[in-house]
Amino acid sequence: MDDSNIIALYWQRDEAAIAETKAKYGRYCFAIAQNILVSRADAEECEADTYLEAWNKIPPAKPWALSAFLGKITRALAIDRWRRTRAQKRGGGEAELSLEELAECVPDRSSVEDAIGAAELARVISAFLRELPEEECSLFLRRYWYFDSVDALCRRYGMGASKVKMRLLRTREKLRKHLEQEEIIL
Amino acid sequence: MKTDKLQDAIGMVDDDLIVRAAKQPKKINRWARWIAPVAAVLAVAIALGVFLGQGSPLVVSAYAVAEAQYPQSAPYPVEPTDWGDKSADDLFSRQYKAWREEQKLRREQATVENALDPFFAATMAEFLQGDVGENRVYSPLNLYMALAMLAETADGESREQILALLGADSIDALRQQVNAVWRANYQNDGATTSILANSLWMNQDADYNAETVERLAETYYASSFRGEMGSAEYSRALRDWLNAQTGGLLADAVDGVELSPETVLALASTIYYRAKWEDEFWEDETETGVFYAESGEIECDFMHQELFYNPYYWGDRFTAVSKWLSDGGQMWLILPDEGVELQTLLADQEVWQFVTANGEWANRQEVRVNLAMPKFDVSGRQDLCEGLKRLGVTDCFDASVADFSPLMDDAEGIFVSAIDHAARVTVDEEGVTAAAFTEIALAGGAAAPSDEVDFTLDRPFLFVITGINGTPLFAGTVCEP
Repeated sequence: MDDSNIIALYWQRDEAAIAETKAKYGRYCFAIAQNILVSRADAEECEADTYLEAWNKIPPAKPWALSAFLGKITRALAIDRWRRTRAQKRGGGEAELSLEELAECVPDRSSVEDAIGAAELARVISAFLRELPEEECSLFLRRYWYFDSVDALCRRYGMGASKVKMRLLRTREKLRKHLEQEEIIL
Repeated sequence: MKTDKLQDAIGMVDDDLIVRAAKQPKKINRWARWIAPVAAVLAVAIALGVFLGQGSPLVVSAYAVAEAQYPQSAPYPVEPTDWGDKSADDLFSRQYKAWREEQKLRREQATVENALDPFFAATMAEFLQGDVGENRVYSPLNLYMALAMLAETADGESREQILALLGADSIDALRQQVNAVWRANYQNDGATTSILANSLWMNQDADYNAETVERLAETYYASSFRGEMGSAEYSRALRDWLNAQTGGLLADAVDGVELSPETVLALASTIYYRAKWEDEFWEDETETGVFYAESGEIECDFMHQELFYNPYYWGDRFTAVSKWLSDGGQMWLILPDEGVELQTLLADQEVWQFVTANGEWANRQEVRVNLAMPKFDVSGRQDLCEGLKRLGVTDCFDASVADFSPLMDDAEGIFVSAIDHAARVTVDEEGVTAAAFTEIALAGGAAAPSDEVDFTLDRPFLFVITGINGTPLFAGTVCEP
């Protein structure tokens, strides 16, 4: 079914919307959740919670890209769940690994009162990503948005692990420099 | 937690980017990408030969050797060839972490030595001026090290003149400065090789002041040699040392180096520098193009690259971009505006202010730069004595007033007879493919660029390679690539 038809079902408050969403985007959402949470059961719960939240958000939302809309919900739910348990469950999972990598992008300066809001920061990062070559942008998002493992990225892009790591490293360096140039305070 | 915030913000990036990243990538032809070092640079400012008058005694004997010990660098992470091999992968991660820590420390320690800027600016302006159409290469850092060693051997006005040129208030201040510069610019991690080497070539028959010789060995990491001046073996030993320190890249210039019988002491100072671009050029984007030299059109290979979010600078008579190197250094590419002769630009103080500003420049904008840069291999050799005299260092060249008393008790009549400086810079990558380039049409002066500029180095230009803290390691003009 077309995304526009699925969205129409949500707007009509027709519960078939959820079945259609699951059929089309179930695997997609589950994959994102599992990358973050490792546990299959947790990922399944996250997937189910995604449908509920989508049901609550549409309407009024009228997403332009249903996949990204759902993926964002799944990602946020899974990260939230992961953060609540990470203190007890150190080790394992791409969320933790990728978070360690992202620490390199944090500009050195810091201040409490001038810190940028997450939405504004997202705009700055989007603008930055838009300027990158497509493959570099996608590689970055596959790692830090979808939480693909390095192995998965190797298969996807047909590159060696070291090359994947070096390219991610360069993009992180560029992002850090860009945030510093923009005088972003996190 | 700041990284959490970053993770959240990434989660909120624009939908179209997320959708695009979900698509299966196109099958990409992964031809060999050139990953060997792209910039190999080298200089030898050799032989501050301090000569006695005619008839100094000569005795043949073997020479004593003390080799300088250099600090170890954490190795640059080696990319494993078998990416399925977990242990190789782990090793890569560990090496990368150690290397990055060291780089971070180096960056923190590398404070900018503003006091040196006037020296760098004045000497680059002096030693890059040449005949129209002639490539010139000069290593400011190399001359700095050589002159600093010379200052240790001199006293009185001879020393003061050198200190004044080097921007040091006293010999103690100079030692501190040298130490900081040395530590910031020495690197040997496998990816970046930046080795500063110094040596003393002593006459076996002369009695030197032990304190001065030890000082040179310790503060300047100088290896010391003692032998028979004028003998073929001793000259060969010096040439071997120079070739070893410079990776054989200056073999032609080194061939002519001789220690004459009158030499009391020769100070040799070298830099060998080799770094990868932070972002390499893709070899299939290199194409043949025309370089408009003074002597006419020259066909050469142009490397192409799009630099994203790259600072683009401009002055009254030039535009400039920089390209990052793997060690945190940069190569500055400075193009005179259309109609401005390179020689005119070299005489313009603004360009030297720019070069020593290390990017702190008001006329600057982040843009997308379409860089087209010729591969080049330029070299030059010159005697720096006359230029240094013009810069105020005069006494040490004049036997009647030169004061080299720290060197030996009977120092009368000793003077500097030659300062031979040779340098070579090669910037290279392999392969040929097609891509278009466009002539930049930006008026000189205060006009701000649009979001995207073409930066095509297809006419004589100036380049400067700077180290991590902005120290100019090499500067040169490319009139004929």
